[in-house]
Amino acid sequence: MTFGMGVLKGMIVTLKNFVTSYFCKRNEGGIFTIQYPEEREKTAENFRNFPFLVHDGSLEKIRCVACGICERECPTKCIHVEMATDAFGKPARKPAVFDIDYGLCMNCGMCEEVCPFDSIFMDHAFEVSAAERQVNLIRHKADLAKPNSYFQKERPTLAAIIDQKRKAADEKKKAATQPATPQEPK
Amino acid sequence: MEILSFLAKFGIYAVMLAILIFALGVVTLRNLFHCALCLAAALIGTAGIYVALQADYLAAVQILLYVGGVITLVIFAIMLTEHLAGKTVRQNNSQSPLAIVGSLGFIILIGTLIVKTPWPVNPVALKAKASVLELGQALMGTYVFPFEIISIVLIAALIGTVVIAKKDPQ
Amino acid sequence: MQDLGASINMIFVTAKAWFLSLLGLFLPDWVIVLASIVVSGVVILCLGPVIMMYLTLLERKLIGRIQNRYGPNRVGIWGLLQPIADGIKMFTKEDIIPANADKIVHLLAPIVTVVPALMIFVVVPFGTQMTAVNLNIGLLYFIAVSSITILPIFMGSWASRNKYSLLGGMRTAAQMISYEIPMTLAVVPAIMMSQSLSTNTIVLSQAGSHGLNWFIFTPWGIVGFIVFFLCATAECNRPPFDLPEAESELVAGFHTEYSGMKFALFYMAEYMNAFTLCALAATLFLGGWQGPFLPSWVWFFGKTFILICVMIWFRGTFPRFRVDHLMAFAWKFLLPLTLINILITALCYFASPLVGWLLSLGILAVSFSILVKLNRTFVPEKRDYLFAD
Repeated sequence: MTFGMGVLKGMIVTLKNFVTSYFCKRNEGGIFTIQYPEEREKTAENFRNFPFLVHDGSLEKIRCVACGICERECPTKCIHVEMATDAFGKPARKPAVFDIDYGLCMNCGMCEEVCPFDSIFMDHAFEVSAAERQVNLIRHKADLAKPNSYFQKERPTLAAIIDQKRKAADEKKKAATQPATPQEPK
Repeated sequence: MEILSFLAKFGIYAVMLAILIFALGVVTLRNLFHCALCLAAALIGTAGIYVALQADYLAAVQILLYVGGVITLVIFAIMLTEHLAGKTVRQNNSQSPLAIVGSLGFIILIGTLIVKTPWPVNPVALKAKASVLELGQALMGTYVFPFEIISIVLIAALIGTVVIAKKDPQ
Repeated sequence: MQDLGASINMIFVTAKAWFLSLLGLFLPDWVIVLASIVVSGVVILCLGPVIMMYLTLLERKLIGRIQNRYGPNRVGIWGLLQPIADGIKMFTKEDIIPANADKIVHLLAPIVTVVPALMIFVVVPFGTQMTAVNLNIGLLYFIAVSSITILPIFMGSWASRNKYSLLGGMRTAAQMISYEIPMTLAVVPAIMMSQSLSTNTIVLSQAGSHGLNWFIFTPWGIVGFIVFFLCATAECNRPPFDLPEAESELVAGFHTEYSGMKFALFYMAEYMNAFTLCALAATLFLGGWQGPFLPSWVWFFGKTFILICVMIWFRGTFPRFRVDHLMAFAWKFLLPLTLINILITALCYFASPLVGWLLSLGILAVSFSILVKLNRTFVPEKRDYLFAD
């Protein structure tokens, strides 16, 4: 009787799979695929896709100072930054042009790691397919800049850390520019 | 209803013509594989003639043995023989005139024989039933001795094949 | 009420008679005779491809469920229009013929594959007196026609002028020839016990008190059914016997160089073969359309459907046979088993049921164990590794 046992055991395993695919939930042995356009998988927090810029409220308060470190560090050279000039021709600490070519970007995340001003982070949006490479895949500053609230929604823990750091830095700066409190006579 | 019997007769003559054309194809085509396929078609046509003559068992056995067995063997032989792939066979040679004379003589001889022979049909044969039951009873009853001899010959052929195809021990 | 039951039981025959009576109102007699042949032919020609289309969908859904995913469910509810989308795709694909290929044979091979697959539908008994043609030699006709299906495989593989196609074609042909012999011999007990080659008579001889005296409830029936079913799976080139058309082995074997409609014809022939072989297995061993209460064609299609699901289950479960295992299984295991099966059929015919069962089981057990021992594969002895821990 041991001759056909392997065959029968194999068939019982597949039969069990077949039956439980109708009755069990996803994690308990049921079907684990999802119907894509109607349902989406939740992505992890550190899932990195294309970059985006953070601003604190409006496009004027963009955190990026156009230092160009991300442009220099990018392995595929997909970032193009030009610093704005203010009314007197002196460099203002804001980018006039900030272009990322999504067609070149390889989602490595180096720009996020090297930015000293916490202004560029990797986004979660992955449905960015386009019909033409040159026209629709080059993203400009207006498309890339997203509010801090969006950043907090997409990457809560990192946004919390960065907000805390910025608040502490703000407090220290405010305390440093306050006049010194008069000392009490001993 | 005469139209139906006319159509049936027309169909039988068409099958006979097809057999002749395919048989011609067997001997005149250049590609050896095409010749084998024409032979298969001719044998299937022969089975059709058997069906028309109400020998249905014979037709099925003809297809089973000839097309399923013999033609398969012929095609295996063609495919497994080296240097035969795509090779074309020359259709005429220097001895054609002599061959034509010889074949014409042969045709005249056989034709005369066929025409001059009386072919009466045995009335017993006309009434014979050729169902599978009668065939089985005949094989196991009247013709059991040739049946057993043929089975011994087949076994000898099989064993001989296995012995010839076996590898040498060294 | 009896009349209604009988006419529902023989629904195809009633429908055809009604249609022919409609035609008889304004056409002469000989046209009616011709039309009755043509109607049967046309119905089979339409039934075959439709069955094949929905069989592909059924297979994809079932395999998907076995593999813990949905099958196709985008085109139409439950994917019911998926075969139509597949058909449109096959029709509109470009037909590529290799430059060196033999054009006539390349064109003929798919056609010659489909014709025998359709021809077998003629002897399948779909219900009470609902065989398309009640041939006296029905089963022999089926065996003869299924032996023609080897020829177009040679044609297809040869005409492609491709070494790998040729190799795949030879393997396929060898497999199909090898598995035809146990298949034929496994059918012989059913012929012996019902004393006729006609499929209708074989089904009728499986009637019992309630239509439950199927051949599978006898010792020779079980062995015969299992052997026939395995050989049928091998004849259709279905997994686990699908070495010739496996994608990872020989890039689809003998139908590598076929695209578009020609490939669709090969595909169609394979699925129609699968359906007819399951239908014949149900007819020969499972009692065809016999069964209590329900109309006959419901029983027939139900049994065939279950057997097709078992074939699909095989596909989802087993890895492929290696080619030498394939041939050894057919020649060294199944063939002797079928010969012993014929012996025990004769024993069961002449002896009383109890003695017949006991003797058959004894002989089967002995021969089975002998065959298994003789077929044991060579397992080398365990090695001594000097430097392993």
